[in-house]
Amino acid sequence: MSLSGVRRRSRSWGRRQLFSLFSSLGTLLSHRVGTLMTVMVLGIAMALPIGLYITVKNLHALDLQQEQWGNLTVFLKTNVGEQQARALQRTIDQEPGARAEAISPEAGMEQFRQASGFGQALDMFEENPLPWVIVVTPEPAEGEELQTVVLRLEAWLQQREETDLVQVDFKWLQRLAGLLELGDALVSVLTVLFSLAAVVVISNTIRMDVANRSEEIQVLSLVGAGNGFIRQPFLYSGFWYGLLGALLALLLFNLCLYFISQPLERLLDAYGNSFTVVNLGVGGFLFVLLCGGLLGFIGAWISVQRYLNQINSSGSLARF
Amino acid sequence: MITFERVTKQYEGGSTALRDVSFHLDSGEMVFLTGHSGAGKSTLLRLVLMLEQATRGQVLVDGHNLSRMPMRQAPRIRRNVGMIFQDHKLLKDKTVFDNVSLPLMIAGLRYQDIRKRVRAALDKVGLLSKEKSWPLTLSGGEQQRVGIARAIVGMPPVLLADEPTGNLDPELSRELFGLFRQLNEQGVTVLIASHDLALIRSMGQRVLVLSQGMLVDDIPGADIAGARA
Ligand SMILES: Nc1ncnc2c1ncn2[C@@H]1O[C@H](COP(=O)(O)OP(=O)(O)OP(=O)(O)O)[C@@H](O)[C@H]1O
Ligand SMILES: [Mg+2]
Repeated sequence: MSLSGVRRRSRSWGRRQLFSLFSSLGTLLSHRVGTLMTVMVLGIAMALPIGLYITVKNLHALDLQQEQWGNLTVFLKTNVGEQQARALQRTIDQEPGARAEAISPEAGMEQFRQASGFGQALDMFEENPLPWVIVVTPEPAEGEELQTVVLRLEAWLQQREETDLVQVDFKWLQRLAGLLELGDALVSVLTVLFSLAAVVVISNTIRMDVANRSEEIQVLSLVGAGNGFIRQPFLYSGFWYGLLGALLALLLFNLCLYFISQPLERLLDAYGNSFTVVNLGVGGFLFVLLCGGLLGFIGAWISVQRYLNQINSSGSLARF
Repeated sequence: MITFERVTKQYEGGSTALRDVSFHLDSGEMVFLTGHSGAGKSTLLRLVLMLEQATRGQVLVDGHNLSRMPMRQAPRIRRNVGMIFQDHKLLKDKTVFDNVSLPLMIAGLRYQDIRKRVRAALDKVGLLSKEKSWPLTLSGGEQQRVGIARAIVGMPPVLLADEPTGNLDPELSRELFGLFRQLNEQGVTVLIASHDLALIRSMGQRVLVLSQGMLVDDIPGADIAGARA
């Protein structure tokens, strides 16, 4: 075939695609209620894995501040006074591989008041119920494992008679790492499941569209339309459903994030982490939209192909 | 242009619609197909359009052996065969213009070309003024002519019609056949199934007669013309 022939054919192909793309959007928008319902179901279904994904991603971001999480918090017995507490703090400071900070019951209460927002409830206590607390930051020497230092310090502090309880953030870190692994797995599983759900929902919607327009499909087939031509508008409908669903999911998700992020950041700041909630970013945003569209495309393909196979097998076109 | 070689068509229910039918249509011929109800006329046309496949024998259209073609090639054949259906097969939710433009949309023509050719086709069937109407607001005869415009708009080399005059008054029927003759004179091969014997006789063209699925007669045009005299 000549070059001009190829060009002419590809141009007519492009024209058909463009026509289908917009005529299918028009069809969708003309059935407002039905489209809205499908898109809502899709949006909610897709928002779930996105939400979990971002949650886990934020927890991973915390993970980066390992040093801080290695802290040991030593709660002293309630009968231990300021002098004893300060003395212990100095002792610990002199230990190799550790730095200590003493927190008075008053300072502790003030921190808690700010972080929790339970200000008024705390006023009900006549006496400050908090003990003296010493926060120990391990400082491993070159080549030394953080974990070893933490374990050594923990054992040593546990034996002191001033000590009521030693809480090792490190354990939380390990648990967090485990939880994060679980979270990752959960995200993968949910993504697969909800993608499947999206394909099924779209496929079913398109199946009904196809049934409603079976007469049109048959007439098109009778006057020589190939499968590709018949498929096009439905594939684009599916694409739009998926895209709009993904858009709604992102909207819902960001709305939730907006309400959650401020209290969350305040809470994490109380832990001494300056923390900003991580969002999807432009790339992730576009990726979700693309995936939504693709899922719609696949769902639509399944339904239309089933119908085409049915009418194309010899003799099942409308009788005349 | 169209060749049937010992074609038998058996439907799944077991009824045999065509038995051992053989004939040949040259390019540019105009032929009528007649026979009682149930004789197999529609079945024969459906085979040409690849809506059915022959149980035995071979159907050739424009050099293509349809019996050897996979079903997915059917659109290619249908684009070269204009078909006029007894019940018109128009889309109710599209205007006359959009209905007629379907074959050109499928071919992927530019809108300007589509417009030109659709209007030319509508002009030929005398319905240019109705291009923006909806099919259901037209009379039966007008709907039939929209169907004809759609069949000829792509300028296919072969035109098939199944009972095109089924519910038209005699004068309209004659007009319609005149239109077919006109198209035939422009080189289109035309095959029309009809049981309007009087009208067929008046046309003076070759006639194929089916009876219970068998081709019982193949009368040359000259003899038909003689019968009219
Ligand atoms: N889809 C089908 N399944 C089973 N049998 C069929 C089918 N279509 C047609 N037949 C049978 O095949 C025979 C021929 O039918 P066909 O429609 O070709 O006849 P016809 O000549 O067009 O009749 P009419 O003039 O009434 O339109 C009939 O006996 C009919 O019952
Ligand atoms: Mg018939």
